[in-house]
Amino acid sequence: MGNEIACQSCDLLVSVAATKHGESASCPRCGCFLTKRHDDALRRVLAFASIGLMFLVFASSYPFLSLSSSGVESAITLIQAPFALWSKGMPEVAVLVTAFIIVIPATVLMMMLTLCILINRGRYHSSLLPLAKGIFMGQKWSMVEVFLIAVIVAMVKIAAMATVTIGISFWAYAAFAICFTLATSNLDRYQCWQKIELLAIK
Amino acid sequence: MHLRKNDSIQRTLALLVTASLLYIPANLYPVMYTDALGSNEASTIMGGVVLLINLGSAPVALVIFVFSVMVPSAKLMALFYLVWTVERHSALDPRQRSRLFRIVEFIGKWSMVDIFVVTILVALVQLGGLLVILPGVAAISFAGVVVITIIAAESFDSRLIWDNMEDKDSVN
Ligand SMILES: [Zn+2]
Repeated sequence: MGNEIACQSCDLLVSVAATKHGESASCPRCGCFLTKRHDDALRRVLAFASIGLMFLVFASSYPFLSLSSSGVESAITLIQAPFALWSKGMPEVAVLVTAFIIVIPATVLMMMLTLCILINRGRYHSSLLPLAKGIFMGQKWSMVEVFLIAVIVAMVKIAAMATVTIGISFWAYAAFAICFTLATSNLDRYQCWQKIELLAIK
Repeated sequence: MHLRKNDSIQRTLALLVTASLLYIPANLYPVMYTDALGSNEASTIMGGVVLLINLGSAPVALVIFVFSVMVPSAKLMALFYLVWTVERHSALDPRQRSRLFRIVEFIGKWSMVDIFVVTILVALVQLGGLLVILPGVAAISFAGVVVITIIAAESFDSRLIWDNMEDKDSVN
């Protein structure tokens, strides 16, 4: 019991009982990835999520990029970037951008922290399921890595017109993106459901 | 069971049509304006790619071309194709179609790259009367296309690809 997964993409029931630590399983019918077993995954998720959040605080507090051309200079912080769109008459896009690059990823990491702490306490809590659902939904809408590529493209575009300098916040955001990716890749969907189920039965 | 089926397909189709309609202004109108020393220049998404090539940054031009031009149109076509095959109870290799759907799901968010580029440029390039960059209306429609296609992929139930196979099996 509890060792069978219904494949998300084709609904086939697959037994993963034989999967050992460090091994992963895919659906034999459609090839969709199912699970990767990591016995100490929660500890790593906890670590990457908390370090990631610290980097995000750093990234929001210092200059992100600065620009200078014939003696005139301008610098922006991470938060100011979408805010400029708002003041130029595009509040909808500004809200979307802020959500995709800051609000949703930060919320996902905070939910991961809460989930890990609650599971570690070893008691069932009614917020476990909504938290897990929120985390996996939020991951689909987090675009930290896309934003990093966009920064590089933007720098290439302005390089011809003015001198761009990378601020310390850019590096902090890059570190945040790495932590975010590591935290999400360590939180396995199936392992997560199974842990919650075990606590619910207890 | 049958209800879930119709609902998923109809919702996906409605979202796909909306995204396709928005895709037209997203490409025709300027995504940003560059104001340099009084001269105003508008650029569309495709214009941005050409500009990057002219600047000698072919690799970056390729990145923008792939994510902003190829991915959104390929994604719309792939989803239309998947909906169509499910509607027709097609028996075409379901494993292949499953893989196509997973690729669509995976690359969806990468199309936002151009919107983020415009965001950064608008915020950063505010050099008094020397050089100012402003967002264009296509930014709204393009962001809409990306978000609506992600929701469309989300509402498409990929298990339908396999449900049809089971229907066929039970008939035989
Ligand atoms: Zn499967």
